[in-house]
Amino acid sequence: MEYVLEVKELTKQYTKVLAVDKVSFTIGKGEIFALIGPNGAGKTSTIRMISTLLTPTAGDAIVGGHSIIKEPEKVRESITYLPDEAGAYKNMTGLKYLRFMAGLFTSDLDTLNEYVERAKKICALGDRLEDKIGSYSRGMIRKLLLARAVMTKPKLAILDEPTSGLDVLNAIEIRKMIKQLAAEEGMSFLLSSHNMLEIEFVSDRVGIITGGHLMVTGNGKELKERYNAANLEEVFERVVNEHEIH
Amino acid sequence: MKFINLLKKELSELINLQMILGLIVSLGIFMALGGIMNVTIDEAVEKTSNVTLRISDRDDTEFTKTMLETIKKDGNKIELFTTSGDDYADILSSNSINDIVVIPKGFTEDFNSGKRPQIVTVSRMTSAATISNINAGLSNSVTLIEKYLSEKKAETGGLDSKQYDLVKNPIIIAENTVVDDKSAAVSSDKIVGKISIQNMMLPLIVFVLIILTSQMLMSTVANEKTDKTLETLLSAPVSRGSVIGAKMLAAGLIALINAAVYMFGFKIFVGDATSKITDSAGEYVKSNLSVDEALKQLGMELTGMDYFLVGLQLFFTIMICLSVSLILGALVNDTKNTQSMIMPIMMLAVIPYMISMVADINSLPTVFKYIVYAIPFTHTFSAIPNIMFGNRTLFFLGLGYQIIVFAICMFFALRLFMSDKIFTISLNFGQKTKYKIKKRKAVKENKTNS
Repeated sequence: MEYVLEVKELTKQYTKVLAVDKVSFTIGKGEIFALIGPNGAGKTSTIRMISTLLTPTAGDAIVGGHSIIKEPEKVRESITYLPDEAGAYKNMTGLKYLRFMAGLFTSDLDTLNEYVERAKKICALGDRLEDKIGSYSRGMIRKLLLARAVMTKPKLAILDEPTSGLDVLNAIEIRKMIKQLAAEEGMSFLLSSHNMLEIEFVSDRVGIITGGHLMVTGNGKELKERYNAANLEEVFERVVNEHEIH
Repeated sequence: MKFINLLKKELSELINLQMILGLIVSLGIFMALGGIMNVTIDEAVEKTSNVTLRISDRDDTEFTKTMLETIKKDGNKIELFTTSGDDYADILSSNSINDIVVIPKGFTEDFNSGKRPQIVTVSRMTSAATISNINAGLSNSVTLIEKYLSEKKAETGGLDSKQYDLVKNPIIIAENTVVDDKSAAVSSDKIVGKISIQNMMLPLIVFVLIILTSQMLMSTVANEKTDKTLETLLSAPVSRGSVIGAKMLAAGLIALINAAVYMFGFKIFVGDATSKITDSAGEYVKSNLSVDEALKQLGMELTGMDYFLVGLQLFFTIMICLSVSLILGALVNDTKNTQSMIMPIMMLAVIPYMISMVADINSLPTVFKYIVYAIPFTHTFSAIPNIMFGNRTLFFLGLGYQIIVFAICMFFALRLFMSDKIFTISLNFGQKTKYKIKKRKAVKENKTNS
């Protein structure tokens, strides 16, 4: 299978805390992989290392054939990252923001316009794109940022809590958008979320991380069978409790 | 192309209506301040050049009448008032005047009997401002009465007016001022009068610029960090160097515009506010040089190149502020904390600012002098005096020191931005971090569930 992301024993040691301990997993082309875990489990540190924001203490991750340690610039050309609770430049209009971000991925004006047109279509904010971001609702900002994250057709889109703070309808819309982009365009996604219902609906495979250890990976059905659980929430609870006992 | 894109974004973040209005208002303030000073000084000059002596002669003898006639004959304008009692406030109010000299009863008798006669001077004070309180009428009246009495005394003692003049002014003073290796025939008081306004205003400009630019960059960095737009930027295919480079260049360009506008405003202010002082001083000096000519002769006149050098030092001061702000802004995890984070910069600006307002830094005791000079902002506060007084070596040493401090601060700012610390380091000022709050909530929830 063609892997868009191969995480190999990725480790992050802060001064006093071992945040991520030899985490390994893979994501295939067009696959949606969800990393779930309690607060402080190491999800964001893992995601930040793959996004080249943090330097791993040990291990490596290969994105589209490029090492995050040896070729971070090449990796950044293949990924986009949407942080949890991210904002945008409030003084810019939505359109200006999209043009600015597209300009960081390409210097070619035609490609830039193509990216912006695609983002306009995805976020479906219409005329509101002419308004300053400061006047947007939380849902509108999230849609704008998500459109920004996928407009360049990255090999891997990394979305930290993509629907956090959104109402039900906006969340459903975004989940559908993610599934559609993976199925129709072969875009791969690395998600992190606390919402088990969302994970069950969106992801192809799940990785449960706690205390810096990746405890288990598999698709929802497999995991429910393995842990004899009715839903992913129960699986999550059992895996976390198991880790605490050990 | 990507760098230009970043730079355009940084500039559009920094150049906003608030910033442009701020600059226009500052320039307007300089021009208005220069204009106001000009009008005030004009009034003061008018007061001193067209003086009416207001006198109340309560003694009313032949002697006092002759005295006042003689003073009038010498070309002075006298307005006589009839007054009584010692309610001087009422005397001024009822006659609608601001000053008066009262010659009391017994004045002539005292003079003739060899005693020192007394006169009473009354003046209304309307403000604490020096220029507003210039009262040439009163001082002229006193001087002229003194002169008349002295001449009369000399006459009775057998001295003619030439001999009296020799007794009163036994020496001729030729005032000269030396600056560095140049000298000019002018009193140092006049030079101090001229340059004191410059020395008062420039530190104020530097102080405002330091606070303004630091606050500006610190807020943008803190906002980028708290809004997580910095994470988005740094995960895009651009180098961290270009992200910081664009941020610094944009802030530097804004600082340069600020420095240029402030220097231009300052030049207008200095030109307006001091031109009249020079003119009036010139009239009094008569045979001596005018202050402007003297400044030129002493090599103290600021040339275009001098203004450029002061502007350059101002620019490096701002660049130091920006690099320090870059570091401090990165340490903030809540935009509200930027107000507190600006304190170290403010303190470092306040110390040399206050000292430069009241003393010459070079005249401080050696240890204090070096401590104050170790603060990079000091060198901009002392830039104009150093250039004016020919301390060019000190000026260029200061400029060199500022460039070194800037390079060091920039090195640490770059290291911070290039490392993981940009995302992990923060100062909380005793506040709970989001992480700690979340963790505490999670522990509470787990306990409730179990």
